[in-house]
Amino acid sequence: MTVPILHKILDQHFWLSPERVLFWEQKKTLIVSDLHFGKTGHFRKSGIAVPQSVYKEDLQRLFAQISFFKAEQLLIVGDLFHSIANKEMDFFLKWRKDISQLPFLLIKGNHDILPNNWYQEASIEVKNEYHVHQFSFIHDPKESVTTTEDGSFIFSGHLHPGIIVRGLGKQSLRFPCFYFTEKQAILPAFSHFSGLASIEPKKKDQVYAIVNQSILQIQ
Amino acid sequence: MNITETHGYKVVTDWLSSKGYSPFAFQAETWEHIFQHHSGLVNAPTGCGKTFSVFLGAVIQFINQHPETFRSSKKNGLQLLWVTPLRALAKDIGRAMEEAIHEIGISWQVGIRNGDTDTSERQKQKRNMPEVLIITPESLHLLLAQKGYPETFKSLSIIAIDEWHELMGGKRGILVELAVSRLVALSKKQGTHLSIWGISATIGNLEQAMEVLLYASKKKGHIIKANIHKPIEVLSVLPDEIEKYPWAGHLGIKLAEKIVPIIEQSNTTLIFINTRGMSETWYQTLLTVAPQLAGAIALHHGSIEQELRLWVEDALHTQKLKAVVCTASLDLGVDFRPVDTVIQVGSPKGVARFLQRAGRSGHRPGEVSKIYFLPTHSLELLEAAALKKAIGETSIETRDPLLLCFDVLLQYLCTLAISEGFKANQMFEEIRTTHCFSDMNEQEWQEVLLHITQGGIALQQYDEYRKVEIENGIYKIKSRRIAMRHRMHIGTIVSDAMLKVKLMNGKFIGVIEEWFISKLEPGTVFTLAGRNLELIGIKEMTVTVKPSSSKKSIVPSWMGGRMPLTANLGLMLRKTLDLALTKKAKDPELQALTPLFELQETLSHIPKENELLIEHIETKDGFHLFVYPFEGRLVHEAMAALLAWRISRKMPITFSFVMNDYGFELLSDQPIPVDDSNVYELFSIENLMNDITQSVNSVEMAKRKFRDIAVIGGLIFQGYPGEQKKARHLQSSASLLFKVFSDYEPDNLLLRQAYQEVFDQQMEEVRLRNALSRILKSKIVIQFPQQLTPFCFPIKVDSMRENMSSEQLEDRVKKMQQQLQ
Repeated sequence: MTVPILHKILDQHFWLSPERVLFWEQKKTLIVSDLHFGKTGHFRKSGIAVPQSVYKEDLQRLFAQISFFKAEQLLIVGDLFHSIANKEMDFFLKWRKDISQLPFLLIKGNHDILPNNWYQEASIEVKNEYHVHQFSFIHDPKESVTTTEDGSFIFSGHLHPGIIVRGLGKQSLRFPCFYFTEKQAILPAFSHFSGLASIEPKKKDQVYAIVNQSILQIQ
Repeated sequence: MNITETHGYKVVTDWLSSKGYSPFAFQAETWEHIFQHHSGLVNAPTGCGKTFSVFLGAVIQFINQHPETFRSSKKNGLQLLWVTPLRALAKDIGRAMEEAIHEIGISWQVGIRNGDTDTSERQKQKRNMPEVLIITPESLHLLLAQKGYPETFKSLSIIAIDEWHELMGGKRGILVELAVSRLVALSKKQGTHLSIWGISATIGNLEQAMEVLLYASKKKGHIIKANIHKPIEVLSVLPDEIEKYPWAGHLGIKLAEKIVPIIEQSNTTLIFINTRGMSETWYQTLLTVAPQLAGAIALHHGSIEQELRLWVEDALHTQKLKAVVCTASLDLGVDFRPVDTVIQVGSPKGVARFLQRAGRSGHRPGEVSKIYFLPTHSLELLEAAALKKAIGETSIETRDPLLLCFDVLLQYLCTLAISEGFKANQMFEEIRTTHCFSDMNEQEWQEVLLHITQGGIALQQYDEYRKVEIENGIYKIKSRRIAMRHRMHIGTIVSDAMLKVKLMNGKFIGVIEEWFISKLEPGTVFTLAGRNLELIGIKEMTVTVKPSSSKKSIVPSWMGGRMPLTANLGLMLRKTLDLALTKKAKDPELQALTPLFELQETLSHIPKENELLIEHIETKDGFHLFVYPFEGRLVHEAMAALLAWRISRKMPITFSFVMNDYGFELLSDQPIPVDDSNVYELFSIENLMNDITQSVNSVEMAKRKFRDIAVIGGLIFQGYPGEQKKARHLQSSASLLFKVFSDYEPDNLLLRQAYQEVFDQQMEEVRLRNALSRILKSKIVIQFPQQLTPFCFPIKVDSMRENMSSEQLEDRVKKMQQQLQ
C-alpha cells in the first residue's frame, strides 16, 4: 500500500488512503462509506453466481486499515449492509467480535434496512446524522440542504463518485475518487463490488482519484 | 413404393391442380425425401413456395398414415414444428397453411406460439396441441421448460427451421441446435422417425449450414435447390456532380429529390436505410421534398410500436402505400406482392444482404428484380460497381456457425432443470451431439455443472448459493422464484435498456434507448416513428411526450451494431478499383467517379488488386498515416492497433486511430517511421496473436462482449415486469460484474468466453490473418501526397465527428473542401 495523502479541512487533518477510507487524525476516527456487506450473499441466494471472495477481501482490507491507522472509532456514513440478513452476515458478526473493543457508529443509509436489534447485537450504534466539531455526517449528500445552513462541513457517501480521466486518442478511464467541494466531502464506495457514478466537479472543487494502489490529485 | 402412387400425393396434387397449379420440381423433390423420412435443407428464395415444400410434405405423410380417416381425424397431436426467427412471419405463414388445410379437407389446427401469445391460448395448446405449431426459437425453449414436455412432442414427425441462414450465424442458432438435439434424443428413445428440414436463402456455405442443423441426428442430409433464376438489375442514383472530397452521411439526403420520380413511377417501393436514426431523417426529408406523398409513405423500423408496424405490413399487402422507409426490419419475411422497386441507401455491407433486399421486388416469374443504389458519399458508388460484379460472379458470403457458447449452454441447462431435470452423464453426451458443443471436453462440462450448482468461488459455511440442485442424480431447479425468473430470461437477444415512449393519454409510440433520452431536457423536441414529439418527463421506464409542431427536432440514435463490410465485398471492391481509369470501366458508376479517381491518381495513387496503398500526409493536426486494405471496420480496428503497437516498439510514439470500411488512419504528433525498409515487417503474421493481445485493448472489448454473455448466462437480473423497484438490491451492471470476475475469479467460464468472442468475432482473427497474408504477398505502395486525398477524406472527417455537433461538422468540412479544391 502506498502512503496516504493529507487533506486539511478547517485545520483538521484527514488522511486519504487508496483503500477508499479517510482517517481523521485528531479524533483518531476512520471514516468509510458504502461497504454493502452481504451483497454477494444476496446475489448468490438468488442464483446469481458472484464470487464471494470480493466480500471476504473487503473485510480484510477494512481490518488492515483499522490496524494501520490505529483507529479508535469507526464511523460509517451509510450503507454498511446491502440488504436483508443472510448467512454472510454471520461471517461479519464473527469478524466484528475480533475487534469488539472498537466502537462502530453507523449513519443510516438507504440500504441499511436491518431491524434495530440486529445492530444492537452487533454493537453498532446507529444514528440518522451526526454532528461533531464543525462537521456533519450524513449518508446522502442531497439531503444535506438544511444542515449546510448552519455552516458546518458535511461528510457523506451514497453517490459512489467516479471521475473520468480523458487521454489521447479518445480514450477515457473512470476511477473511484474522493470528492471535496467547499462545503462537503463525498467518500468513494468502500466495497469493490460497487459501481461508479460520474461526477462533474466545478473549478474550485478538489478531486483525488484512486488509481490502482495510489491516490492522484486530479484537480 | 413410389410417392406418386400414394393417396396423400394424389390428394395434394389434385388440390393444386384444382387451383390451376402444379408443384415446382423442388417441392415434389422435398415431398419425396420426406416420404423417405430423410432430412435436409431446402434452398429457395422467399416468395416461390418454399413453405409448401416442407409443409405439404408433412400433409402428404399424414394422409398416407391415415388413408381412411385423414379428413375427420382430429386431435392428432403435434405433427409439424415450424421454427421461424420473426414473430411477424408467423401470422402470414399460419394463414397460408390454414387456407391449404381447409381446402385440402383435413382437420388440422395451426397454432402460433411466441412472445405475443396470451396465457389462455398457451393453456389451450398445453391441453390440446395443434398439429402444426409455428414458434420462435425462444418460445421453443420455453416449451422445454414446461413439466411434461416430452408428451408434447410425442407425435412430432417433422421439424422445419425457416430462414436458417439468418439464425445460424448467431446465438439464436445455438438455441435451435440445442432444441433439435433434445427432440432427436426424445424421438430416438421412442423409436420414431424425426425429419429435420432447414429452409435457407442462398449463402456461401449451404453444405455446412445443413451439416450444422442435422448434426445431432447424425444423418446425411439432402440439399434441394429451387433453381428459380431471378434476374437482378442494379441501377445507381448518380449525383449531378461528383464530390472529389467525399464524406459519409450528408450526400444521401441531398439526393432525396431524385428518388421521388422513382417512387412515383413504381407501384410500391421499399427504401432500405442502414440505421433507425437515418430512417427517421429520410422519412421526414421525403415528406418535405414530396408533400404530395403524405399519407402514401410510411416508416418501419424495430423501435416503432408493433401495432403500427403490423399496420404498415398489412398496408403493403393491400397496396395502400406508395413507399415504405425501412431498416433491416423488413429484410426477412413474407413477400409483399405489390412491391416492384427497392432502393438501397448507403452501403449494404455485404453481397448476400444486397441480394436479399433486391429479391424483395418483382415476384412474378420472369420479372426482373430492380434495385436502385443511392450512395451516402460519392466513393460508395464504387460499391455499386463491385456489387454488380459480385452478382455476376455469384460470389456470396458464408455464415459461420458459432462454437462453444457457454452462456447459451448455462441457460439451456437451467431451462431443462426447471421442467424434467437432467442426468449429468446422459446430458453431456447429448450436448456433444450438437455442432456448437461437439468439442466441449470433460473439464469444461464439469465447470458448467459447477457454475449452476455451486456458483463458483464461495465461503463454504457462509454460502447460500441456490440455483440448480441435485436430487437422486437429477439436476433440478426447485425454487419457484428462481424458475420464474429464469423463464423470463430465456433467449439470446440482448438489447440496451429501452424506455417506452407514450403520449399523455397513454398511447404507445415506440421505444427509445435510455442513454439517448437521458441527455435531453424536458421541452426538447425529438423524432420517433415519423412524428415530432416534445419531451414532458421520464418516470420509471416510461417517457411521456406530447405532439409538437416544432420544425426543429433531434433525431435519436440507437446504438446497435454497425455492420462491417464483408470480406467478400472487400475483395470485390479491390477488384473493381483495378478497373478505375481504364477503358474497361464501363459501369456508369466508375465513369461518374472519373474526376475523383483522376485527382486521387494525381495526388497519390489508385491501388490495383494486388497492391496496398499507404499515404503519409502532414497537416496542422499532425502526421497522418492512411492505409487502405478494404477489409471492413473491425479488421481495420485490430490492424491499426497492431501497427501502432509494432511501430511504438521501435521508438516511443503515441497514436490515435480512426477507421472506416475502406481503410484506417494513424495520427501522431511526430513523423511516423513507416517506409519501404520496414513496412513488410509491420504487417508480418509472426507473433500475431501475441502482438495483438498486447496491442489491442482486449480488456475493453471483452467488457463490451461480456454484457450480452452475462445477460444470456443469467448473471444480470433485469427485474420482474412491473416490480422493478423490489428487485433493486439485485441489480448490477455488466461492467461491474466484469471487474469483479476479472479481479476475483479470472478463470471464470463466461469471462473466458468474452475474450474468446473478442478474438473470434470482434477482431475476426482468421480474417485478420488472411488479410495480413494477402498484404504480405502484395505490393505495398507508399505515397507522400502534399494534401488530403479523396480516399483519405472520409476517414479524416470521421475522426473529427466525435467531438462536434453535426452543424459544426458540416461547416468545418465545407471549409476543408474549399481549401483543398
